[in-house]
Amino acid sequence: MRHFMVMTAFAALAAVVFGTVAKDSNRDRIVYGLKVFAEFMLIGLVLAWILYFLP
Amino acid sequence: MSNTDDRHAGEGAPAKAWLMGTLGWFLPGFGHLVQGRWVRALLLGGAVWACFVGGLWMGGHLFVVTGNEQGLAALLQVPPMIANLGSGVLYLVCWLFGVGFSDDPLHAARATYEYGNTFLLVAGLLNYLSMLDAFDISAGRKS
Repeated sequence: MRHFMVMTAFAALAAVVFGTVAKDSNRDRIVYGLKVFAEFMLIGLVLAWILYFLP
Repeated sequence: MSNTDDRHAGEGAPAKAWLMGTLGWFLPGFGHLVQGRWVRALLLGGAVWACFVGGLWMGGHLFVVTGNEQGLAALLQVPPMIANLGSGVLYLVCWLFGVGFSDDPLHAARATYEYGNTFLLVAGLLNYLSMLDAFDISAGRKS
């Protein structure tokens, strides 16, 4: 659980910065930030499952 | 914006934009705060501060080239040190007080040690992005 919380915190902090510095309108920034957050989480979970099966 | 406007924005940038960039690097969020962009300052500065403090709290390690390393080992310290340096005054204060630089096995045995390292590195890298944003806003390249 701790690992997941840390990954979530990392994804949220990075998404806030990426979302803030990118795009031109507030709506686009929020959408982009959410997209970055979702991508970090998804890729993290996929990698975790791949690594789980490696000895 | 036309090419002519872009050129003028670039020419008008210098001193103030460099100052804003430097302030943004030195104290995360300050470059935006000085320009009256307090929401951006809060979001960017807050994220960098949270990342850095979180990294230290998890027992992360800050990198520095001490001069005692031999050959390649010294070179390997440089990239993470540059990333850590991005945190500006946070890194400098830690360096002055010797916080986060210990490299003992007990410290490294903590379950969150590697997470802490990553958070500290990323805090600096995110602040470089924030610094460039403050520079661009001041230079008129960004609204």
